[in-house]
Amino acid sequence: MSSQISRRTLLRTAVTVAGAAVAAPLLSACGSGGAAKSGSNSKAGLAGALPAFVASTAVTADIPSVTGPSGGFSDPGFLTYPAAPVKTVTKTPGSGGSYSAVTPLWGTIPAADNPFYQAVNAALGVKLTMQPANGTTYNTAIPTLTAAQKLPDWVQLPTWWNALFNVGGLVGTQLADLTPYLAGDKIKEYPNLAALPTGAWQAGVWGDKLYGIPSFASGTAFAGAFFYRRDVFEAKGIAADSVKSADDLMNLGKELTNASAGVWAFDDMWTYLTQPFGIAQLFTAKDGKLVHKYEQPEYLEALNWAWKLAKSGYIHPDALAGNNNDAKARFYAGKVLVTGDGTGSWNMADAQAGQAADPKYRRGALPLFAADGTSAPSIFLGSSTSLVSYLNAKLKPEQIKELLAVANYLAAPWGSAEYTLINYGVEGVDHTRVDGTPTFTPAGQKSVQQQTYPFLVSSPQATSNPGFDQITKDRTAWEAQAVKYAYKPVFWNMNITVPSRLATAGAAQALEDTVKDVQHGLKTVADYQNALTSWKRSGGDELTAWYQSEIYDKQGSGQ
Amino acid sequence: MVVAAVTTNSADVPGRAEEAAPGLPGLPGHPGAPGTPGGPEQSLRPPSPRRLNRRIRLRRDRSLLLMTVPVVVLLLVFNYLPLFGTVTAFEYYDPIVGVVNSEWIGLENFRQLLGDPLFWGSVWNTLELAAVQLVLFFPVPVALALLLNSVLSPRIRSFVQSVTLIPHFFSWVLVITLFQQMIGGAGLLNQFLRQHDMTPWNIMTDPSVFKLLVTSQVIWKDAGWGIIVFLAALAAIDENLYEAAAMDGAGRWRRMWHITLPGLRGVIVLMLVLRLGNVLNVGFEQLLIQRYAVGHDAADVLDTFSYFYGIGTNNYGYGAAAGIFKSVISLLLIYGANKLAHSFGEDGLYRK
Amino acid sequence: MSDVTLKARRPSARPVWEEEPTAVGQGVKGVTLAGILVLVLGPLWCVVITSFSTQGSINRAGGLVIVPHGLTLNAYRTMLGDGPVTRALFVSLGVTVAGTVFSMVVSVLCAYGLSRSRSLGHRFLLMLLVVTMFVSGGLIPSYLVVTGLGGFDQYWALILPSAVSVFNILVLRSFYGSTAAELIDAARMDGAGDWRILWSVVLPTSRAVTAVITLFYAVGYWNSFFNVMLYMPTSSQKWPLQYVLYQYVNLGTNMPGQVNSGFGNAANATAPLSLQMAVVVLTLVPVVIAFPFVQKHFAKGVLTGAVKG
Repeated sequence: MSSQISRRTLLRTAVTVAGAAVAAPLLSACGSGGAAKSGSNSKAGLAGALPAFVASTAVTADIPSVTGPSGGFSDPGFLTYPAAPVKTVTKTPGSGGSYSAVTPLWGTIPAADNPFYQAVNAALGVKLTMQPANGTTYNTAIPTLTAAQKLPDWVQLPTWWNALFNVGGLVGTQLADLTPYLAGDKIKEYPNLAALPTGAWQAGVWGDKLYGIPSFASGTAFAGAFFYRRDVFEAKGIAADSVKSADDLMNLGKELTNASAGVWAFDDMWTYLTQPFGIAQLFTAKDGKLVHKYEQPEYLEALNWAWKLAKSGYIHPDALAGNNNDAKARFYAGKVLVTGDGTGSWNMADAQAGQAADPKYRRGALPLFAADGTSAPSIFLGSSTSLVSYLNAKLKPEQIKELLAVANYLAAPWGSAEYTLINYGVEGVDHTRVDGTPTFTPAGQKSVQQQTYPFLVSSPQATSNPGFDQITKDRTAWEAQAVKYAYKPVFWNMNITVPSRLATAGAAQALEDTVKDVQHGLKTVADYQNALTSWKRSGGDELTAWYQSEIYDKQGSGQ
Repeated sequence: MVVAAVTTNSADVPGRAEEAAPGLPGLPGHPGAPGTPGGPEQSLRPPSPRRLNRRIRLRRDRSLLLMTVPVVVLLLVFNYLPLFGTVTAFEYYDPIVGVVNSEWIGLENFRQLLGDPLFWGSVWNTLELAAVQLVLFFPVPVALALLLNSVLSPRIRSFVQSVTLIPHFFSWVLVITLFQQMIGGAGLLNQFLRQHDMTPWNIMTDPSVFKLLVTSQVIWKDAGWGIIVFLAALAAIDENLYEAAAMDGAGRWRRMWHITLPGLRGVIVLMLVLRLGNVLNVGFEQLLIQRYAVGHDAADVLDTFSYFYGIGTNNYGYGAAAGIFKSVISLLLIYGANKLAHSFGEDGLYRK
Repeated sequence: MSDVTLKARRPSARPVWEEEPTAVGQGVKGVTLAGILVLVLGPLWCVVITSFSTQGSINRAGGLVIVPHGLTLNAYRTMLGDGPVTRALFVSLGVTVAGTVFSMVVSVLCAYGLSRSRSLGHRFLLMLLVVTMFVSGGLIPSYLVVTGLGGFDQYWALILPSAVSVFNILVLRSFYGSTAAELIDAARMDGAGDWRILWSVVLPTSRAVTAVITLFYAVGYWNSFFNVMLYMPTSSQKWPLQYVLYQYVNLGTNMPGQVNSGFGNAANATAPLSLQMAVVVLTLVPVVIAFPFVQKHFAKGVLTGAVKG
């Protein structure tokens, strides 16, 4: 009866999880930018648009960044918060302008115009009205704003939604060109912005012009890792570095699984199997010819292994049932001992949550290994940033300059006076120092707690878990080791706009569905091969050919 | 008085209270006799109103027409105006270029759709699921309503009623999580089985029982909500009829058969007709969430198909074509269901 | 004897003409009802207890809590302790009341207007209504129409586009079509116009269905946030309660296409389960409060009294 009770109920049914997702791409339809030209930046054009890099010397890391052979570098680690934060910006950046800013917020929206906002505005010398929008429906919010031509003065457009938001079409029409203000040495006027790594700026370059300002730049941005319950492993006397091949991992599954006690070895592992099996991000290039990851022999091997794993009974049944929402809870509860997850999950909030369930809780990451157990492990670098903000094209040059000066303030390095204000509010009001670590007061928890300004622009990623130094040490050590094996994938950091006729092949929905079924043990590798054949026929080959002729042959691989 | 007025009209079972409940949709309709007056209200009207000319009818029904104006305007603006969007089904629709400027490809999307085995798989799943739900789910709220109606204590009755309402307000994510905790692979049931050395059965990931699982979830979530309409219909049955029947010696079951069920008939038929029209909507979000548990072969229905292979892959025109296919089938179904209702002498959506 | 006193105390209990319930019948009924209660109250218990559980208790359970290990009001404090919720509550109440009244007025009028089986054009109008249940132009055009009419950031955009439920109108109409047909005819004979008949005959005799449809509309408005998402995505000042609460429910649910970006825990943080469940509990509160008012109209004999009266 439900589904017919009323049309509104029907509508509501299509809302919660999926609704936002349904709405978003449809609404981007009314996005009224220009049509994005397909293709990518030219090498020379990119070089001309990118700003110069001048490292900041304001704060010294306790655990310095390590640079690998590929140029990727690990995030610096900080153990203690500076007692007297250094000031990096001497004069008030703004001159009284009024601006609005929209950012996604995965958390509670703080009250508008709260004391924290007022304090930051006073320091910035502008009236910057923050309008954080619900992160889970952000993919719907932005298309409605672009469709109604109501973009704010400053807006965050996460890169994983670039195609959805049609950023390639919005630049120049609704988003302002920043090349005249920032390209080359011009950025030196804004020293904190100049200290953002070049790779991150690349994410904001479209059509050989610079539009975007990066947040949370990182020199590694690995997709993720296999995490394990270090406390449980140690209690059982299992050494994490004993896993040196896919077979070792399978054996580990056998050793750890005890279904009748409600303990399984693994959660969903597929996403992160790319590392040991050496699957490409999207393409590999062999002798100047592109090979799509679906056609890599390694892909088939990984899939075959995943199928065996699904059949082995070592994966938690809820994970096989596609329930990923409770994955973290399963890990904390010790119902799952090894899980694949993003590197972002390795932090103090995680430790607090885990220790609430079990005081001995400790997260560890398996060292990189190669599936065959003999070759050298490898891991591809992620894009240098996935958060890029843009200024509105309607702004006048003076206004853009004023906002860039504000951006320079917001981009102040970790532990500086400016960073402290933006992230922790005013000392004595929003936070107090507990053992030297800024700790929120109840007032601060309400208004500051959430990430707002850093989504406009922020200093590069730093690893810091005040009070949980062990995590900082563990994580930086893992990254320092991993970065040695890191390589730049084909088309690394390149903004590529695929022509819309190839979008269906790019999404490869039918193929991805089959992959999911294989990894859940519902279909076999042979089914995958059939699906692959029909994908190649129905656009897959054309897609690869387009990448070959339009990007690889013309603009190179970005490596 | 009421009983008498209606029973004179009901030729087949005179004297029975069967057709006698007033205030019941569908009742006054006269089975299989199109020419005869449909109900008491017509019997008091001037004869053969069909022949009245438009002008007179307009004058007579002026206020009635006026009353429908607000709704008609709202629908025209918010439902009919946006219908121009359906042309995307005939386009290679590129959102960036817009509805007007997209490449026109005629029936190409439909041609592709009809040749797509995944599409037919989802059509088949939809129909199968709809049939299962029609048989297993549809009668549940009616039965529940009857059961509740037979409970004498008003306090127990309202308590149970309020409780059964609750699951309707749970999101599908929550409902499925609850099911998983109870009967999932690591749920209460299977952990019990494992601890007693019995073979566990992961119902949640077994494609062969998926349709029953989905239906049981629907029953759990919405049966309680579905009874409300029937309760309203039950409240509209004249209590005097029961008393009169009881005086005539009709027992509990006979009263239910001859008074209660006929009293509900109009609503049941209306719900059934609407249900048939809605057959192709079998729970988008519910299936979306469980799609990977049993694989897309078992879980894809028309709605998830157009979501994944239309919107999800930027193939909007394709999704729109699947949508039109669905609309047409739905309209045909509701038309057929309505006809069927008429042939059984029921009103359905409108009186014949 | 005892029967009489019972009846005096609870007027709608077993009428005198009804036979004594049989033991078997009562037994079967009791077991069925108890079964239904267990099936609903069991899971409800998990939901409520989880909403009051500490994070430690939830993490130990690895999901919804069945046996509590530590209770706290934190989830409710987090949600209700802030100003926005109070304001959002008033916004919600306003939208729900205004929307429900508006929807009821237009629906009742339309349903009555179409309830006369021989009235001019009623069949065409019915078709017009029914078609909209199955055919839709999709989101983009709807969005363009509403914003084209200036609905962006306007409260009416939360009401008008979804003000009409054809399903509800059909249900109303089906009841009106025959409810108290006698009385309607009698009133018409007395020379009463349709407006008057609707007001003083139809409405008083169809209180149960009016209550039900009011409930349907009110619940729809109270719970809806889709339009909010579309038409006022960044005006947090104007958000109704459900949309404010919605932030907690789906926090951390990964959207299709969202890659794991690793820029910190912001995007992949899962909302504490206790918060999510507290939202569910809060959603139930108004329903539990409002339902008895609706239920009142289901009481046996309500209509009979009215018709006879």
